[in-house]
Amino acid sequence: MLIEILQQTINGLAIGGVYVLIALGLTTVFGILGIAHFAHGSVSMSGGYLTYFLVTAQGLPLLAAIPAALAAGFLLGVLVEMLAYRPVRHANHINAFIVALGLTMMVEGINLQLFGHEQVVIPTGLNRVFRLGGITVPELRLYVIIAAILLVVAMMIFVERTKTGQAIRAVAENRDAAILMGVNVKTIPLIVFGMSTALGVAAGIMVGALFAIAPGIGEGLVVKGFAVLILGGLGSFPGAILGGTVLGITESIAAGFISSGYKDVIAFVVMIIVLLIRPQGLLGRAP
Amino acid sequence: MPNYKFMPNHTFTRACAALAMSLVCGASLAAEKKLTVGVADALTGGGAVYGLPQANAVKMAADEINVAGGIKVGPDVYKIDVIAYDDKANPTEATNAVRKLIDRDGVKYILGFCCSGSTSAVASFIRNEKAVMLVGNAAERSITTAKIPNLVRTRPPADYSGQAAGTFIARKGQKRIAVLGALDVGFYAQYVDSVERELKKAGGEIIAREIFSLKDRDMSPQLTKIRGLNPDAILVVGYVEPAAFVYRQAVELGMNIPRYGFTSGSEEQFLRVTTSEQMEGVWDLRPTELTLLSASKNGVAYHANYTKIFNASPSPSSPYAYDQLYALKAAVEAAGTVDNTEAVAKALRTIPVPPQVVMQYQPVDGKMFDSNGQAYTSNGAFQWQKGKWVFVEDLPSDSKAYSQFLSTLN
Repeated sequence: MLIEILQQTINGLAIGGVYVLIALGLTTVFGILGIAHFAHGSVSMSGGYLTYFLVTAQGLPLLAAIPAALAAGFLLGVLVEMLAYRPVRHANHINAFIVALGLTMMVEGINLQLFGHEQVVIPTGLNRVFRLGGITVPELRLYVIIAAILLVVAMMIFVERTKTGQAIRAVAENRDAAILMGVNVKTIPLIVFGMSTALGVAAGIMVGALFAIAPGIGEGLVVKGFAVLILGGLGSFPGAILGGTVLGITESIAAGFISSGYKDVIAFVVMIIVLLIRPQGLLGRAP
Repeated sequence: MPNYKFMPNHTFTRACAALAMSLVCGASLAAEKKLTVGVADALTGGGAVYGLPQANAVKMAADEINVAGGIKVGPDVYKIDVIAYDDKANPTEATNAVRKLIDRDGVKYILGFCCSGSTSAVASFIRNEKAVMLVGNAAERSITTAKIPNLVRTRPPADYSGQAAGTFIARKGQKRIAVLGALDVGFYAQYVDSVERELKKAGGEIIAREIFSLKDRDMSPQLTKIRGLNPDAILVVGYVEPAAFVYRQAVELGMNIPRYGFTSGSEEQFLRVTTSEQMEGVWDLRPTELTLLSASKNGVAYHANYTKIFNASPSPSSPYAYDQLYALKAAVEAAGTVDNTEAVAKALRTIPVPPQVVMQYQPVDGKMFDSNGQAYTSNGAFQWQKGKWVFVEDLPSDSKAYSQFLSTLN
């Protein structure tokens, strides 16, 4: 029993890592700019598709394709902010909402046209399996967990320890005060969107390597991302990390011990229970 | 004796010329007659692994028939034109696609139908239409138990294969089998029920029934649970893509037990997800379908032509649709009409297996389709060996007995 629980936890950590990265991107955009960026999942999958293209069609090694896709993801995020959200920043919230939905459809359509309807799996060649007692850890899952941890740590260091990070936090706390303190509030959204999309691309690559990328996967992932946001607490970085991890492990344990047919249902039931007890989410601030 | 001149010479010459012209025109008119057949199938989405190759197969068969002279109905020769719509394996989309084919395009013969949900939706109303529906890969049993006179199916129902699979697994000596599959899909559940019946006869049992959905890609939680039960073997029933992930993740979880399946995926489709090493030793227990080692001469030629035309290997189940068109051709020629769909539907239930088909059918009383409109192929045990599906042996299958059983169901 203990071994099974540990194994399910390991299983859940990998997918939890993906949820964390998606949720971190969403919470950064939502917490700082107040935008529910529904296209985040589809944009993230574009990065996964790009990596697949670079590896399979261009013959690039995976370790070269990943940074290239992350850089492309950053630029794509900057473009999304400039071309899609900036024009409606001072308009009614519904405008940004509609832009987000339209962007989702557009990006899904572009992915479909460029990469077709069939699922693609990013080839990694990482097929070894590590065994520890009765627990098995596939090499790829281990690297996904490690990469997710490294990216989260890097993100935290960036936000907490760098001047740009401090500026981002300042804008999130009080935009007007940040302007008075000399923060360039025009560039902050660009950086936020760039970072958020790069994190999403990392998640897209993980999904493409662990499972597969196909039309519609990004939309499903963004729903989970928002669930994590609510579970962890809106706008909270530690909340997104905790929420993503909890959701991943809960899904895995629920499928293993209750029923695989209710995997998603049980995960959302847990979220509802948490919200009944703590409406602000696990680590959110009470209003 | 009066010298009757039937007509003046120059008039006679003109008449001959006119007659010749009319013959030529008549011949060309006959050559230009067109029979449009429709295809409703999953061309995108999860079902496309089955539907797209089926649609390709119908087009290929149409081209072959056209090159060989078309369909001969009395003095007329019909060339086949194919219109294909994407039903996304979705019941609503399939209904819309078929309505469009019948109402807008005036199509009377509709082929394809890879997936059971969408096919059942169309089958529910096709009885009231002046059209004939030829079902391919969709394996839900109830499609041919409703006694729909204008519907036939080339693929045998799933439980017909499940029975043979259960006998095979029991013979291998495995007693405790864990099932992981798309068990919320009726025909997969029917397959597993048949396997279970045969296992029980040999003192075996199914110890777990775990579910995955078409879109699931992470089956490690279910596999971890199954691993904890120490089964003798696992049985995977479902679409190729999720099944491929199950095989891969079972290896990643160190499950070194026999893996049986009911998936009908090609090597190419599996290798998009797994490695050949991860697939080594997996069994697929299914209708014999198209695997080169078990293929007839027609099967080998089909594989070569398909690969050449579409630049990809055909899926093993795609010939179900290819065979539909040859069966339709035989029925139209036997009925002597393209317009009377009732006569063509009746003829379908009387024709022998056409010589051009690819699948190895087991005719019932000498006919390709039984009175339920159901065709039967042999079942086979295939094993993945060094990157390929290898045909190992035929599985015992009694088409006549199953046909009688099917007739008793409603």
